[in-house]
Formats: sequence, C-alpha cells, structure tokens
Amino acid sequence: MIGVLEGNRAMIRTGLLGIVALAWLQGAALGQMRAPHASEAACEEPTLRCATKATPAFAPDGTLWLVWMAGGQVSVASSQDAGRNFSVPVLVTTKRLNLDWGPDARPKIVVDRKGGIAVAFSIFRDEAFNGQVLYTRSTDGGKSFAELKPITASNESQRFEALALDQDGTVFAAWLDKRNRVPAREAGRKYEGAALFFASSRDGGATYTEASLARDGTCECCRLGLTFAAPGRPAVIFRNIFDGGVRDHAIMTFTDVSTPGEIHRVSNDDWQINACPHHGPSLTIGPNGTYHVAWYTNGKARKGLFYAHSRDEGRTFSAPMALGRPDRNPTRPFVLTGPAGTVMVWKEFDGEKTTVQMTISHDDGETWSPPRAISSTTDTSDHPLLVSNGGQVYLSWMTKADGYRLTAIEDQR
Amino acid sequence: MRRRFAAILGLGILIASASALGSPPGLKPFERGTWQSLLKGHADRPTLVHFWGVTCGPCKVELPLLGKFAKDHPEIDVVTVSADLVPNLPAATQSMLDKAGLSSTENFIFNDGFVERLRFEIDPAWQGDIPRTMLISRDGSITTIEGSAEMSDLEKWSAQQLSKH
Repeated sequence: MIGVLEGNRAMIRTGLLGIVALAWLQGAALGQMRAPHASEAACEEPTLRCATKATPAFAPDGTLWLVWMAGGQVSVASSQDAGRNFSVPVLVTTKRLNLDWGPDARPKIVVDRKGGIAVAFSIFRDEAFNGQVLYTRSTDGGKSFAELKPITASNESQRFEALALDQDGTVFAAWLDKRNRVPAREAGRKYEGAALFFASSRDGGATYTEASLARDGTCECCRLGLTFAAPGRPAVIFRNIFDGGVRDHAIMTFTDVSTPGEIHRVSNDDWQINACPHHGPSLTIGPNGTYHVAWYTNGKARKGLFYAHSRDEGRTFSAPMALGRPDRNPTRPFVLTGPAGTVMVWKEFDGEKTTVQMTISHDDGETWSPPRAISSTTDTSDHPLLVSNGGQVYLSWMTKADGYRLTAIEDQR
Repeated sequence: MRRRFAAILGLGILIASASALGSPPGLKPFERGTWQSLLKGHADRPTLVHFWGVTCGPCKVELPLLGKFAKDHPEIDVVTVSADLVPNLPAATQSMLDKAGLSSTENFIFNDGFVERLRFEIDPAWQGDIPRTMLISRDGSITTIEGSAEMSDLEKWSAQQLSKH
C-alpha cells in the first residue's frame, strides 16, 4: 500500500513537474509572441512625439503645417514660429487604422492660398497588404477635417500617393495603382509592378476627377517625386520598369493636369532586380525651369545616391553625380530649389549614428558645396525632408530619440 | 482516484510538452548581434539566409519555391529573416511561412526599431531592398543575390557545396 502511495506520489510529482514544465515552456513561447516589438516609434500615442513619419508644408501666409502618423492615426498641427511651438493637434482619422508603414509611405499635405488644407495617405486595406489611398480636406483652417474618402473607387491596391498644388489652387494627385493586374491575370499575361495613376481636384481637394492611367509597368514600392514644372503642368519622377526588368528612373511632364506626357529616362543605371527597393526619388524644378533630381540605385552601371539636372524639361539629364560617402550607406536623398540656391540632403549611417548631410548649389546644379553634417541622431529616424516658405529652406526631420526637428539651412558661402 | 487522475493528467501533459519541444520553433526575434550568432551557429554548414517581407510582392512568389528547395535539400541549412520594417507582423509572417512549406526551418523576424543598424550589421551596403538571399559556404564566404533568386542558381550553389564536402 505504501509502495502504491509512494508510486502515486511519484506520479503526482512527475505530473506536477510536467505541468510546471509546460507552463514554463508556454510562458516562454507566449512571452516571445507577446513581447512588444521594438518599435520605430518612441511611443504609441497619436502625438507628434510618437510619430514615425511627419510631412511639412508651408502655407502661403508663412504658417508651417505638419501632418504625421502616430499610434495608428493621422494628425495635423500648425506652427507660427518655424516649428518651435505647434497648435493643438487635430486628428484627421477617427480611429486607429492599419496605416501603410512601408519605408517610403508617409501622409501628404498641401495648403492653398485660401487656407484650404488637402491631406492624403495610404492604409493597408486587407491582409494581403493591398493599399488604399484616402483623402480629406479642411476648409476652416485645420480646425476640422472632412470624412475620409478613397481617392478612387477601384478595389485593387493603391499606395505611394503624392500631392502637389498648382498656382490656381488645383490639387494634383498621383499614386501607384495595381488595378491593371486584374485584366492581365484574366488574359493569362504576366504583370510586373504597378501603374502610375493620377487625378486632380479643382475644389481644393473636396472631390477628385476619375483616376486615369499615366504609365503602366512602374516599380510598385517606391515613393514618387511630384511637383509643377509650370502652371498646369505637373511633373513626376518614378522608378520605372524598363525592358528586362530594369528598375531605373523615369520622368514625365504632363501637358496639362489631365494629359500625361512622354516618359524620359533619367539615367541608365541598369538596375535589373525583381524586388522592392523601398527607395524612391526626389524632384524639384526651379523658377527657370531646371529639373533637379536625386535618386538611389544599385545598378550595374552605378551604385549609391546620385544627382542630375535637366535644362530641357526633363528630356535629357546631366551625367549622374554621386552623393555621400559610400562607406556610410548614404540613403533617402531629397532636393529642393529655394531662393538661396538648390539644396540637397540625405542620411548617412556609421554603424551607431545617423547624420543628415547637406550640400547646396548656387549655380543651378553645376557645382555643389562640400557636404556638411547638419543634424544627427542615435536611433531610428524618418527620411530627411526639405521645405521652403519662399524665403528660407528648412530641414524637416522626425527622429525617435530626439523628436521632431525643423532646422533652417544655413548658407555658409 | 483523484490523485491517480492528476498523475495521469500530469504525465499526459509532460508527454505533450516533450512533443511540443520537437515542433517548429516559431519565429525568433532578430536583434542586435543576431547576425553574428547566426553565422557562428551555422559555421561549417552551407547556409542559405533569405530576407523577405510580407508586403513584398516578389517575395510572395519566391517563398514557396524556397520552401520546395529547403525540402529537397536537407544538407543545406535554410534560414529566413522577415526584414520588413517594424511594426512587423508575426502572425502574417508565420502564416506565409507555413503556406510556403517553411514551418520547420529556422525563421527570424526583425525585432529592432533601428532597422538601419540591423541591416548595417548584416551588410553595410544593404539599403533594405527585399527579397535578398545570402549564400554562405562552409568556408564562410558569402554570395549575395539581390532580388528574387533563380532556383537554378540555388541548385548550382548547393551542388557545389556537396561536391566540396
């Protein structure tokens, strides 16, 4: 009897050990699953401090407007003192959304002469990560925003929207759209990448025209560069898919807001890759009509960041000029022409610290100053962006460790 | 009787726990230092490390092909790393791996908000484009395939690894 009892006790002990072991194993497994992923955000609230992406725009009256994504929401605030203080943020979204968190995605904002604010951003619409571009606007100086609407009725995927404002207040929108994969699939044809689609709004972003195709066969995961070459003539730079799956950059200048133009190749980098580079280009056009472009490639012909300009409306470009130190992983170039010259910024990383490098040209892109570090951070950061109020160019940079920074670009001639 | 039941239950759970240890290990966090540990852990073994992400179109096409490759080549250590930016999605990542037949390979997921630093540790020149495959030979030499890998190239590489052995 005792023997049996001992045996039972031993079994019970073994059983309890088993339970403890299981609990420990499960705890470890669940711990791993539930452990919050080290986030690229400093915090999870919708506040600016928690933002991962922040996009600026100056209004014609000199007010700085900022739209950001944080805590699954999109918010807007303004600053009258060049980013030192911001107004109470206004939520554009009414609930947490599955915002597009791709490396090249960010909310967009333009502000017109009447103070009307147009905003657009992307969400993931389903579990297959198909995107949807949503837009809204404010007509009361950013106090409230209209209900979010999809920019197109298509239920396929749209991502990487860009907004630009024409002189007459027309809002032009372009984005990458995958709707044409459906007829291709039905016809048994292979469909690579996405397509460049566009629409425009003549009522300050309240309604947009029906979406139109500008170009099929573009890369599907890189930001666009969009600006106006002249009144009524948007220009867009994008990573195209050329013959043989070569993902080099192309530029298109529209005849008017509803008529796409021809595409021209920016450079023959010969980057043949079937992948998502997640690294789009930047475009600015000076008052004299010079196109300035900056881009990343990893092609056979060249690798790294490059700059070139065009003085014939984007038909031909200067020889690509390399940017940054190749051993410092230069990324995310941005170029903007301001009153004091054309400015370029990009990020470099030394294994511990990210710096924003800046160079400026006073002769329309012919020569450039030696690059200079103008800001740095020791944790993850958004792309460095440039924004101008017509008199001064600023670096706009969201960082996880140090928050949002707006830094005046000093011209050290 | 109650004790006997508890003992049987306990034993049953123990057996279940033991069998759980033999099940797929699930997603492991890829953090600072993981790359060096991975290289050390697979030293002297031909290893294929595949970087991919759930939002990457070409990755969706390539992953099942890689699943078949892994099944056909037990002599090659196949490791996957979900290298999308955080917030990463463990459930979607695991589901895609399962569907691709990659449940039982060693699977990692980026788990550091400072993604530039993670990438820099792996390859200072890598800007984050995916898919990307790194073929590590027994001698530690690394061949990087940017974009979707041709399965014929992987076959060729694995045959070379076997012939060297």
